[in-house]
Amino acid sequence: MPEAASMSCMDLGAVVPEMVLAGLALAMVPIAGWARGPWRRFPAWVALLGLLIAMGVTAPMLIAAPREAFCGTYAVDPFRGFYQLVIEAGAIVTLFALATHFRGTEQEAQAPIALLMASVGGMGLVAATDLGLIVLFLQMVSFPSYLLVLLVRSDRPAQEGTLKYFLYGAAALAVMAYGLTFLFGLTGSLNLRVIGTSLAGTDRAWIALAFGLVLVGYGFEMTLVPFHVWAPDAFQGGTAPASGFVSVVPKVAAFAGLLRLLLEALPQNLVPWPVVLAIVAAVTMTFGNLVALRQITLKRLLAYSSIAQAGYMLMAVAVAERAPDALPAVGYYLVAYLCMNLAAFAVLAQVERMFGRDDYVAIRGLGRCAPWPAAALALALLSLAGIPPLAGFAGKVFLLMAVIDGGFTWLAIVAALNMALALYYYAAIVAEMYFREPEQTEAVAPGAGYAWAIGLCTAGTIAFGTIPSLALSMAQLGSGMLR
Amino acid sequence: MLTITIFLPLLTGLVVLTLPRNRPDLVRGTALFGALLTLIAAIILWVGFDPSGGNLQWRMTAPWIPAIGASYDVAIGGISLALILLTAVLLTVVMVYVFGEHDRAHAHAFLFLLLGTGLIGLFAARDLLLFYLFFEVGLVPMYFIVGIWGGEHRRYAALKFFLYTRAGSLAMLLGFLALYLAMEPHTFSLPAIIAAKPLAHAPLAAALVFFALLIGFGVKLPIVPLHNWLPDAHVEAPTEGSVVLAGLQLKMGGYGLIAVLLPALPETVARFGWLLVIIALVSLLYGALAALAQSDMKRLVAYTSINHMAYVALGVAVAAMTGSVAARQLALNGAAVQMVSHGLLTGGMFLMVGMLQHRAGTREIDRFGGLIGRLPAFSGLFGLLAFGSLGLPGFSGFIAEFQVIGAALQLSVWVAAGTVLGLILATGVYLLLMARTLMGTPSPGADALTALSPREAWSAGALAALSVLIGILPAVLIAAVDSATRILAQF
Repeated sequence: MPEAASMSCMDLGAVVPEMVLAGLALAMVPIAGWARGPWRRFPAWVALLGLLIAMGVTAPMLIAAPREAFCGTYAVDPFRGFYQLVIEAGAIVTLFALATHFRGTEQEAQAPIALLMASVGGMGLVAATDLGLIVLFLQMVSFPSYLLVLLVRSDRPAQEGTLKYFLYGAAALAVMAYGLTFLFGLTGSLNLRVIGTSLAGTDRAWIALAFGLVLVGYGFEMTLVPFHVWAPDAFQGGTAPASGFVSVVPKVAAFAGLLRLLLEALPQNLVPWPVVLAIVAAVTMTFGNLVALRQITLKRLLAYSSIAQAGYMLMAVAVAERAPDALPAVGYYLVAYLCMNLAAFAVLAQVERMFGRDDYVAIRGLGRCAPWPAAALALALLSLAGIPPLAGFAGKVFLLMAVIDGGFTWLAIVAALNMALALYYYAAIVAEMYFREPEQTEAVAPGAGYAWAIGLCTAGTIAFGTIPSLALSMAQLGSGMLR
Repeated sequence: MLTITIFLPLLTGLVVLTLPRNRPDLVRGTALFGALLTLIAAIILWVGFDPSGGNLQWRMTAPWIPAIGASYDVAIGGISLALILLTAVLLTVVMVYVFGEHDRAHAHAFLFLLLGTGLIGLFAARDLLLFYLFFEVGLVPMYFIVGIWGGEHRRYAALKFFLYTRAGSLAMLLGFLALYLAMEPHTFSLPAIIAAKPLAHAPLAAALVFFALLIGFGVKLPIVPLHNWLPDAHVEAPTEGSVVLAGLQLKMGGYGLIAVLLPALPETVARFGWLLVIIALVSLLYGALAALAQSDMKRLVAYTSINHMAYVALGVAVAAMTGSVAARQLALNGAAVQMVSHGLLTGGMFLMVGMLQHRAGTREIDRFGGLIGRLPAFSGLFGLLAFGSLGLPGFSGFIAEFQVIGAALQLSVWVAAGTVLGLILATGVYLLLMARTLMGTPSPGADALTALSPREAWSAGALAALSVLIGILPAVLIAAVDSATRILAQF
């Protein structure tokens, strides 16, 4: 490409949020190395400031006219604006919990850097319209996530979980990159829109193969069955705030990325992805819920619960091209999922810090000895179960509505059965907290960061649940341009 | 005003949560005050109610989720009004009854008040999504009430209750979504759906929606075979929990059948009318026979609930199947009055059983006898409520059951005969219960039983008095109910 043309599409204004966060993260790497004592808190504050600035810069994209930057490889559109806001919000909440969790340890300065880098990767994936960038950003969201899980290096389960996470990630992303090369080979282009218009007339078997391989990579990030195997070990091994982050931000990024890829590059008349995704969704939610029934450690239980939740959301992805309300439904549910899941993990983080364990015994009688965190966890779990008037309920209504509208009534029935089944293990946790007497009452005082994380998420769960339009209208803004 | 009535309990509940930890009496007092305010608000609704004004009085609408055509839309008709009054009365009675109990009073009061908001909201909702929301808000607190303050097997009973309810309500949600998507433009508005009857020409979809809603409401009513949660939940629940569970939460199912399922899908209900009749008759007989076999007084009363609420299902089935508008109205009137009557009488019966258990530490029928000599006031009230429950003329239950049987007679003599058989069995249940507890030789420990305290006498006495009032002056209730059924019978 000639020098002049490449200069003219250098549109740095399009990547201000990413530049701010990546720049701050890089600048803090040397600081984190020698920071001692109270200075260890410095990176967290910088990260918070950076994320708030990024949110401020991202927000106007919700109403901006869509355009492409960097010669058509990077989108500036409301879709990107919405999902980047979700990622930034998730990063802020995690930051509160993470900073408190590592208060006074060496990792206190390092964790925010990994968090920022992973967020930048996720934000890039949401915006990328070029196969090369997609691969790059998928790696970029994954590697810092491995680090976040590994932050307690001396811990055996953390090592095991990270190793599993890393090996699965490496393999899945390689398979996906391989699949993307088929799309390039069929069309001669790396650009999603160009691929979408020139795939017609090529061999459908190859398109189907490419789709299948690409799904491996996204399925890994989204914890779809059968690419979920890493999740329970990684979630259990990592500290609760890190697991919360891994359960939310890469998932949001992957859902947005998959939606962009499907809607821009893979017309459903060329490859039957709606049916495939519907079946994967049904299997994922059923498997996640069935296995969650038998868990005794809470992080592992929430891992399987988040697998099931991914299945619910995938339902609406499957009908993204058939039902007009599917995209806002996915967007809304991701916001709801962020609030309720991060609230649950933040409470677990606090429980872990207070009692040094995260099984049923730790939360037994929590309603008596720590009423506010217990109430927050109960609300988060009831919301995950879909009880009104919480955000998870409205989200499930929107998802089911889109699925029935898209013609997959059987899937809606499977989902409803799953939601009834899931109540069993969510209610079991609530019962432990409220229907039993506490076994240990000696508690370490929690930190203010947890209170912020829990408070923000719980407020979101209630507010978005009672007045869904708060989040739904933004999700609608963010869905207009892809279709 | 309607919105104030709906949210008054919740508001009081939030106030209660902010009260100091060491003042349980203040908590109870505030909760009782909130319940009384709700009752006053409900009476104001009643005073301003126009019996010829239709089913959308005191209406208030506001946008809620405009993107999907769901709105905050509340209004009342005669049946809604009767059930809202019942809710306010029972809420107040419960608050009187629990005065002086101090175990986690804040949470206890908050949960009951939250439940009150859910129930009143449900009876007023004219938007299906809002209906669903209040349905769950009216149920979930009971999970905690049973689980925290319940008996020995409370965790099991609470979980069973929650899972049954949830499965039923998810089926109901799918049914609502199907109705919503069948409307063009899509809307959750109940009056619009009733006017348009969107599935009238899609028999398969209509059948699926019918069964989805039948499961949803049937779990709550409950109908056999969806009744399995009920005995456990009732027996394990604390007394005040049983009162609300039987007195109010079962009405959610009955109200759904009358106010949503029947008007939205009348011809489908008629198509499956015989199925519904059979289910109702089986429930009627099963409830009575199972009650006969119980030795635990609370479980006995729980099973008679299945018998009593079957009249509601039967009334709906008869109304859908008969061609005559007058018979339809008779059947629906009976069903609606039965809901109110059962709320008062069975609520009262659970209070009596609770008082007995509180004194004697047991509910086994064989452990009692000759109570009439030891506890005259208690026995009087107990007898009054039991006679009311068995359908004696002069009580509300007679008015209700008489009307349903009368309407059933127009459908088929055999259906009426089956109903009467159920009635006779239920009569036997209560007569035997009274004979074994009130009459006979006093049991050894009977001397230790203390007389009723004023709060106990007032709470149960108020319910018995209301039932007698309706029995003697049925016009009080029928006027309101009639105004609603007159419209519901036109389809």
